[in-house]
Amino acid sequence: MKKMMYVLLVFTLLGTLLAACSNDSSNQPSNGSAAPSGKKEKLTAIVVKHALTKPLAEMEWLQEIEEKANVDIEWQEITADWGQKKGPMLASGDIPDLFVGPNVITDADFAQFNGLFQDLNELLDQAPNVQQMFEDNPATQVIATQTDGRILGLPKYQRFWPDSVNRQYINQTWLDHLNLEMPTNWDELYDVLLAFKEQDANGNGDPNDEIPVDWPGGIGGFFNPAVMLGGMGINLSSDVSGQGYFVEDGQVKNFLVDERYKELVKFLNKLYAAGLINTEVFTHDYTKFQSVARGEGDIAKVGFTWGWVASDRFGEQLAPQYTSMAPLKWSASYNGDVSWSYDFNTLNYGANAIVMSAKSKKKDAAMRFINELYAPEVGIQVLFGSIGPNIADNGDGSYSVLPPKDPQMDPGTWKWTSTWADNGAFYISDDIKLTLGTDMQEVLDHSESLQEALSRINPEEDIYPSVFIKYSSQDNNTMSLNNTNLMNLADTSFAKWVTSGGIEQEWDSYVQEAEKAGLPQNLEIMQRYFEEYKARK
Amino acid sequence: MSLRSKSIPEISFTIVLGLICAAIFLLIAYPLYFIVIASISDSVLVSTGKVLLFPKGISFFGYSEIFQDSRIWTGYRNTIFYTAAGTLVNLLVTLPAAYVLSRKEFKYGKYIMFAFVFTMFFNGGLIPTYLLMKDLHLINTVWVFIIPFCVNVFYLIIALTFFENSLPKELYEAAAMDGCSHFKYFMTVALPLSKALISVIGLYYLVGHWNNFFTGLIYIRSNELQPLQIVLRDILLSNQVFSGGAGTGGSAGGYAQRYADQIKYGVIIISTLPVLLVYPFIQKYFDKGVMIGSVKG
Amino acid sequence: MKPSIIRNTFIRDYQLWLMVLPAIAAIFIFNYIPMYGIQLAFKDFDFSKGLTGGEFRGFAYFQQFIENYQFGSLMRNTFFISFATIVIGFPAPIILALLLNQIRIKRAKQLMQTTVYLPHFISVIVLVGMLNVLLSSETGIVGHFMKAIGLGHINLLASTNTFIPVYVLSDIWQHCGWNSIIYLAALSTVDPQLYDSAKMDGASRWQMVRYIDLPALKPTIIILFILSMGNILSTGFEKIFLMQNSLNLPVSEVIATYVYKIGIVSSQFSYASAIGLFNTIINFIFLISMNAISKKMSETSLY
Repeated sequence: MKKMMYVLLVFTLLGTLLAACSNDSSNQPSNGSAAPSGKKEKLTAIVVKHALTKPLAEMEWLQEIEEKANVDIEWQEITADWGQKKGPMLASGDIPDLFVGPNVITDADFAQFNGLFQDLNELLDQAPNVQQMFEDNPATQVIATQTDGRILGLPKYQRFWPDSVNRQYINQTWLDHLNLEMPTNWDELYDVLLAFKEQDANGNGDPNDEIPVDWPGGIGGFFNPAVMLGGMGINLSSDVSGQGYFVEDGQVKNFLVDERYKELVKFLNKLYAAGLINTEVFTHDYTKFQSVARGEGDIAKVGFTWGWVASDRFGEQLAPQYTSMAPLKWSASYNGDVSWSYDFNTLNYGANAIVMSAKSKKKDAAMRFINELYAPEVGIQVLFGSIGPNIADNGDGSYSVLPPKDPQMDPGTWKWTSTWADNGAFYISDDIKLTLGTDMQEVLDHSESLQEALSRINPEEDIYPSVFIKYSSQDNNTMSLNNTNLMNLADTSFAKWVTSGGIEQEWDSYVQEAEKAGLPQNLEIMQRYFEEYKARK
Repeated sequence: MSLRSKSIPEISFTIVLGLICAAIFLLIAYPLYFIVIASISDSVLVSTGKVLLFPKGISFFGYSEIFQDSRIWTGYRNTIFYTAAGTLVNLLVTLPAAYVLSRKEFKYGKYIMFAFVFTMFFNGGLIPTYLLMKDLHLINTVWVFIIPFCVNVFYLIIALTFFENSLPKELYEAAAMDGCSHFKYFMTVALPLSKALISVIGLYYLVGHWNNFFTGLIYIRSNELQPLQIVLRDILLSNQVFSGGAGTGGSAGGYAQRYADQIKYGVIIISTLPVLLVYPFIQKYFDKGVMIGSVKG
Repeated sequence: MKPSIIRNTFIRDYQLWLMVLPAIAAIFIFNYIPMYGIQLAFKDFDFSKGLTGGEFRGFAYFQQFIENYQFGSLMRNTFFISFATIVIGFPAPIILALLLNQIRIKRAKQLMQTTVYLPHFISVIVLVGMLNVLLSSETGIVGHFMKAIGLGHINLLASTNTFIPVYVLSDIWQHCGWNSIIYLAALSTVDPQLYDSAKMDGASRWQMVRYIDLPALKPTIIILFILSMGNILSTGFEKIFLMQNSLNLPVSEVIATYVYKIGIVSSQFSYASAIGLFNTIINFIFLISMNAISKKMSETSLY
């Protein structure tokens, strides 16, 4: 054994030595000579694009702005597993001039790889379009600026997206068929769902194939019954409500240990016990969740659920059967405000959409490209596609998004196929006049029923400003660790309580467990950042 | 063997064996059959459990979508090259080493073995390995698929065990008496007697290269060099139903939904078929008598 | 080991050295050179000072992991899942190989062999997708079957009691045939004359399996068993992750999935290294002890 250890030691030492030597000798030859004027300057860049998106070489708008900026960019196009590729690439320092993508380099990466990325403040005077964005929409500057004042990544702003991720749908055809009124509170909802279940609501002769309620599973997150907490006055926001956090009277709280959440779980348990919730709600995958709601032909299967928009949730054929509902009150006697999930900031802003390497030899050229990218009439093309095939120039200073060339394709797919879309870096000025495509119009139409509840929310006071906050890397790590522990506890407890009950007996020990998992520490951290943010205002 | 020579226990053994094998066969074959029918059925019907025994809503959209992508042919070409060259290098390095380490007269064998086994557990992690590849100028080259990690210690151990236990000891003694060197003995006696082993280790290495997508993911930047698995993964992802659809601000719902599963299952068939074709050629070496025949021949 | 002795043996065994040298070089370069990265588990990652230039933290990251709120349940789950995989999954390919070896009809044998090894090629995403479809209590074929034999409504994917069986059995389904290949190869080296003379002595088929086939497999079985004990804390990541849901999470959260969820892959290199190293050391201890036991009892060992 001793001898073996000796052999090992020799091997390891030799390895370390050799590696050390080879690392030192890896100085790259410098070729920093500026390109002769008139000739395009070569840049390298990584873009994290959607898997549907066509090759960048086929995007007309991109060719045009590269031309204008007098640069020739060699793009590496990445569609999957960026997180895995990123680590070794950044650690080796072997990076391209530019990165483009949704939060392509995170604030945590900036802290971790200090010195690897360019402070854009120094180059800002070369980018009037970016300056214009900061001036028109100061929020974008807040998102861009690190706590030490540096600007390491530029945000995107897409303006047109609605105030909420979630819309609440009920099958209007079923209501009409059974002569039922639109429910307005939880108790009425229960009665309606029970009728759906018992009276063959879809009228196909099989009284057992209706699924009154469905969602993707778990607690928190998108399209989740957590939005019903709005019926008790809790102001949710997707950034943080996925882990239960919300703001109330200036305090950061967590609904997962709130008495009102307990009421919601009890209600859901009542629904489950009556057979009104899909029995596979906690186990189905997203494909099945979506497939079930598409029914069979014109026979719908699902009565009440949440989604982005009806045509996506139920398919084109069944979508007309569904109505987007207003939020439900907790009970008929509840007098307080009714609220809904407010997500305008998450949907419309995105941090670090484009980032520059500090090692780049051609920072001026890279900045010229960024400046072109943030021009107002370029922004709409980054998001919806080139003027010509994807957008019509109406000639009077206004534009409209064109329907897909292939009539079988839906507008969403068309957008993602044609351009960087939401994964890009761009700014859409509030002045530009653009008529949206049918998909976005549907989303906005279906958001109407939520408007009353959403209009009561004061985003400055009632919503945790997640998008605008820069955590220190230590706080960030602590929070993500505690949140993982908390969500493990919350998810399993929630699933158990909904399917088999028992929340009354287990509630106290559950709350204690949540504290052990680190919830108080997270609330304290978030409260601190929240107050700092308000003080800055 | 005639029926008369079979005793009653012999017959009952055969019947029980037949039943067990039939059960195993069905248990394994049905899900495989399911993949085939799912690859040509309407995905909504598949995921709601309507497709059980026969395909429904048949269309070949999935396949045409997969083959429409020109990258798939580049992927095939690259993967076949990486697999062939990689497996060759693997065998050239692994087999002689396994032979040496199986020889009792080689005194340092067990120290070397320990140092090898150690690496099955301890490694420096992804970043130092990436830096090494960078220093060796292997990043974004074909060599990164072929040269690094050409010895799999697990397979080396299997080969070593085989040499140790299946080569008759008397053979080497007799050969050594005739003045046969290790080189010659390895080439003319040990290898020809180990066809079963070579085919198994070869198959293991081959499939390892065939399914390898991590190397492409981490070390390759140019699309021209990407292996099939990366291409198929991209195709698969571009047809997924987007659970983050709303979060990313748009939806590619209806269009992708109907065919998502077709592509998912079709990709499996397309990526497995070539390996399936290789198997019969390798399988014949597992049959009995190969070894003895070659000894006599 | 004096240098002169090494030189002498090298002169004597130079052919052997030459044959093993490429493997030594490959392992040295690609496995040992990067090993300096292990230091990261004991140091802070500091990009500006190079990979291993950060502040020394000793066992701080190990301590952080051990004191973690979920440490106990993670260790328990990881251990149970891999223990069940070894106990049930290890003998399966041996039995299958012996079974296949008994088939006398050549065509049938080839068909069986080809079929059983195919599932190995199914990707994890598709496998879990299939489990979801086929095991669904409402619409799956297994759900229909269970209703038919009166087991009623059991959601196999949702229960803490059925997670490990479903995981292990689907693993066996997928890899048993593939893993049996090595045993089949070992069986192919058995001298057919042995069977003939056994038959002469009136041995039954079962006795031939017991006294000829099994002894032929013994060294391979022992070696593979030692190696599998070295995996006692390594569970696959992807399959467990995809099979997780809020109802089975109490038994399905393992070290690998937990590490993924806290997002340390992307940002906390040191913590990730420490957890990895912790895992490795336990695995390694199991392997070394297993190897030592085997050396004593059967004279078969890895080194």
